[in-house]
Amino acid sequence: MLSLASLRRAVKDALSFASSQPDVIEVEVFASAGANLTVRLNYTSHIPSNGVEEPKSTEGYGLGIRATFRTPNGIKTGFGSEPTDLSVAGAERALEKAHAGAVADAEFVSLPKHDSPQQPALRDQEPLANYNPALMRIGGKGLVDAGWSMMHRALDTFQSSEDLMGLAGSAEKMSELGLILGGDVVMLQDRMAIGSTHIPKIQTEQNTLIMSFATAMIETQASKGSGWSVGSQLADFTGEAAAEAARNAIASMDGERIPTGEYNVILGPQAVAEILEWVLMPGLSLDMFFAGASPFMGKLGQLVASEDFNLYDDGAAPNLPTSKSITDEGLPTGCTDLIRNGKLSGLLSDYYNYQRILNDATGREKLGTNPTSALDMISPRNGFRPGNGGGRNFASTPGAVSTNLVIEGNRANTQEELLQLVGNGVYIGRIWYTYPVNGTTSGDFSGTIIGDSYLIKDGKFAAPLKPNTVRMNDNVLRLINNILGIASQHRATVRWSSDQVTWAPEIAVSGYGLEEISEYMEGV
Amino acid sequence: MTSKPSRPATRVSVESLDRFRANLQSLVAEKAKKLPSLRYCDLRIEVREEKGALAENGAEKASSEDYTFDFGVRAIAGRRTSASGYYGRVLGTTDLDRLEDVVWDGIKQAYNRARASAREKSRAMGCFPNLGSSLTAGDLAIVPVHQDTIPAIYSSDPRQVPLGDTIAMAVDGCKAMQSQGSNIVYSAASASTFLLRELFFSSDGADIDQSFAQTEGFAISICSGEHGNFELYDFTGHQRGWEVLTDGYTKGPIVLPNFIDFCKKLGADAVEVSAAPPLKPPDKEVTVVTNPHFNTLLIHEVVGHPSELDRALKYETGYAGRSWFLKDMQDNQLGKQIASPMVTAYSDPTMEGYGSFKYDHEGTPARRAYILRNGVLEEFLNNRQTAAIMGVECNGSARSTEAQLVPLIRMTNTIFGPGEQDPQSIISEVEDGYYIDGHRTPSIAESRENFRITAVKVYEIKNGQLGRLYRDGGITSDSRDYFMSIDAVGNDLRVNPIPNCGKGQPMQAKRMSNGGPTMRGVARLTGPG
Repeated sequence: MLSLASLRRAVKDALSFASSQPDVIEVEVFASAGANLTVRLNYTSHIPSNGVEEPKSTEGYGLGIRATFRTPNGIKTGFGSEPTDLSVAGAERALEKAHAGAVADAEFVSLPKHDSPQQPALRDQEPLANYNPALMRIGGKGLVDAGWSMMHRALDTFQSSEDLMGLAGSAEKMSELGLILGGDVVMLQDRMAIGSTHIPKIQTEQNTLIMSFATAMIETQASKGSGWSVGSQLADFTGEAAAEAARNAIASMDGERIPTGEYNVILGPQAVAEILEWVLMPGLSLDMFFAGASPFMGKLGQLVASEDFNLYDDGAAPNLPTSKSITDEGLPTGCTDLIRNGKLSGLLSDYYNYQRILNDATGREKLGTNPTSALDMISPRNGFRPGNGGGRNFASTPGAVSTNLVIEGNRANTQEELLQLVGNGVYIGRIWYTYPVNGTTSGDFSGTIIGDSYLIKDGKFAAPLKPNTVRMNDNVLRLINNILGIASQHRATVRWSSDQVTWAPEIAVSGYGLEEISEYMEGV
Repeated sequence: MTSKPSRPATRVSVESLDRFRANLQSLVAEKAKKLPSLRYCDLRIEVREEKGALAENGAEKASSEDYTFDFGVRAIAGRRTSASGYYGRVLGTTDLDRLEDVVWDGIKQAYNRARASAREKSRAMGCFPNLGSSLTAGDLAIVPVHQDTIPAIYSSDPRQVPLGDTIAMAVDGCKAMQSQGSNIVYSAASASTFLLRELFFSSDGADIDQSFAQTEGFAISICSGEHGNFELYDFTGHQRGWEVLTDGYTKGPIVLPNFIDFCKKLGADAVEVSAAPPLKPPDKEVTVVTNPHFNTLLIHEVVGHPSELDRALKYETGYAGRSWFLKDMQDNQLGKQIASPMVTAYSDPTMEGYGSFKYDHEGTPARRAYILRNGVLEEFLNNRQTAAIMGVECNGSARSTEAQLVPLIRMTNTIFGPGEQDPQSIISEVEDGYYIDGHRTPSIAESRENFRITAVKVYEIKNGQLGRLYRDGGITSDSRDYFMSIDAVGNDLRVNPIPNCGKGQPMQAKRMSNGGPTMRGVARLTGPG
């Protein structure tokens, strides 16, 4: 992995070179080096398997340049990147690509400046504690060991289970129960540097992140359990996610079906995070308002959810693993209230869309308030350049990306209180394939419940809900307006192929649409 | 640009690979084979030369002409047992002068991971004598070893297309959408074309050089309407050159209009549907006639995905899900009637489409695989490892999105086979039902045993005639029930591009084709909520 000093020097040299070109009006140079180390797991006790299936990694480094050019046809803006060459020659190639691809974008105002409400710190701040030298140095052996530690934790849990032993009749026959462990450990290593005409001081940052996600099954019993972890330090990883998944699978055997109907439910952290990320969040981005694609068009500042509901994105929160000091546009990160006490209070934005809405003649109609009077609500705190699977990628242009999404309730209920509020209903622990089926503007969504779920009777957990027997059909706008309670405890919840983390509590909701499905599978 | 410092002498192009082919083949087939306890190694390396542009609301927004260059290695190694290790890396111009060294370093890293994992596998087998008994060496099925070169097919070379033409295409596509109605509040279009060259080498001696031209267009319209904004997007594209967008492409079941006409139709559809009332679905099953575009997504989600043997063998339990086609090696649906005898579905990379190739990313020769023949489950899509586990012949379905990423089992050109009935007569035979026109968004159960898929348009059918149009509708059903209910299959097979099938960790978005003819079955309708 290249050093921060190398990236800093590359940005400085590239900025000096690009700025000196006579047709360049303004320029921004972003350099990064990153790696994604992933070990995928696939253990099946009843089918030949490798256990640890894929210890693998991808890595790359390079620089990306955004610039505006003075041309005979007016001012044009473009982006170009060059991999594996941080020299001035590499910068030249990147700038040439930016020049060749430059277009006359009438909505482009300028490259990022410190002209939004978010201001840089007066002096260098202490770096956020989301970098770990041990995790930055980890190599192939450490990756392999992480995968096998997950395997050992799950098999230990299975092997020592009296319930499973009772079902199988003997240790030799336990494998006939169809025990499964799937999932992965993902380690992200990132370093970046950025400088520009407008923000010439070269800023750098380095981040590490380690996430694990495990799914365990006792397939003959149709039971499924999940476990996961996320942290920025190597010590945050213990393999416990695999044991947790195995325990949850064992605990959810003998699941029951439920009939189609409307239920009071508690959505567990994974379910909350999935609905939030796939259905709600697309409508809370400024570019979606520009396009008319949000279900909240014209409602900035208005009540859109239960007054108990708060949602914010905080990329600068100390001690949260995905916090960063600066965006990939060189601007300070910060906290954006998206929904506060039920009111739509802000939107995720990058600098381009922030400037664009300020000059949009229909901006007031789109937001529901004059954009110039809502600067703090739409401030560009989230301009990031994610790579495939997360990280910070020199070859990407910035877009609005969430960091640490946090949901909080004002009443701070306990789980026991939520169960009492639900009375009789369903605890929905893990859902899958939950998409906005009628487009992002409607808020309609559908998905299925695939594990970690239980019936609730008389305010207490009762029998497990059989996985893959219930489809959810509902609307996210209705959901956030029918909240019975929100738990005080959060859990950091990871997202497929991403480094965005949702700090999700359990949320109790009334009148949730559930449909019984797949009865024929009982006979298959 | 007016001031130019020292200019680099080289640039990366698909031809850059010419000078390395022999040395890389030797690196894998000779040098790597000498590594102690190495059982197998393969290398994939590719260069893509791509250009494209984006427009919004009829104005140019971005354009780019660039290359990507990367490689990926798999090693299988170990003494008492074996395991796999992988390594992938982005490459650039500076790597042209040191490529063999960079690749050799990657081979060693993959090899070291494989050896370390094999040691840990042995240890786990010792620690868990019962539960560890299913841990195996991960052998690969034997496939014929080929040395071959396959050129790209195109009329208009993607490399020769002026970047300005891609900008004009995107802008004109946008304007074509906007011309369809004043209630289009947003439109965007993109146009891109690339030439891709892939080299594959294995320690078995494979040496395969495949090139592909690919051209793609994307369009989205958002319309205001009485019942809220309505968004509609779609893709067009084919494994050909720029002519796909300028002229369209028609051959057999592939019928692609030129990009401007494609955008006009999308804009017109969005305007029409945005004015329609939301569907209020009846609380009972109804007869539905689904058109080829809707069946494109239906086969993708509900037949193609569950036929992927990695899912069926539980590799995707944590993410993409399992398959209801297979519980275990003994208890599965192979050979069983799980659809109407009128339903045949196959995956065929040797036919024309967005998922065509001669060899997959393990060097396995492509062939047609019948998933369903006359309603009976016949074959899974597989790779060398899963074929070995099942003891079946490889059908060449392992592909990755980029060389640096690990190949996964993928659909290719996966379609419902055509029937013999005129599609109009399939509608005219329906006294009371619904016509489901165009796919929108899927939500599929974990093992693909149930689905809900929304449609662009839902029309009433009354006495054999199309009636009122509705928005925000779709169908839902248990998968087996639906496919068993199929009682008519049209002769109007159409094959459409699917450019963004997500699978894997990190996620890979893969291009492929799906399609089918008009079909008739029984399902429940879905509406808002």
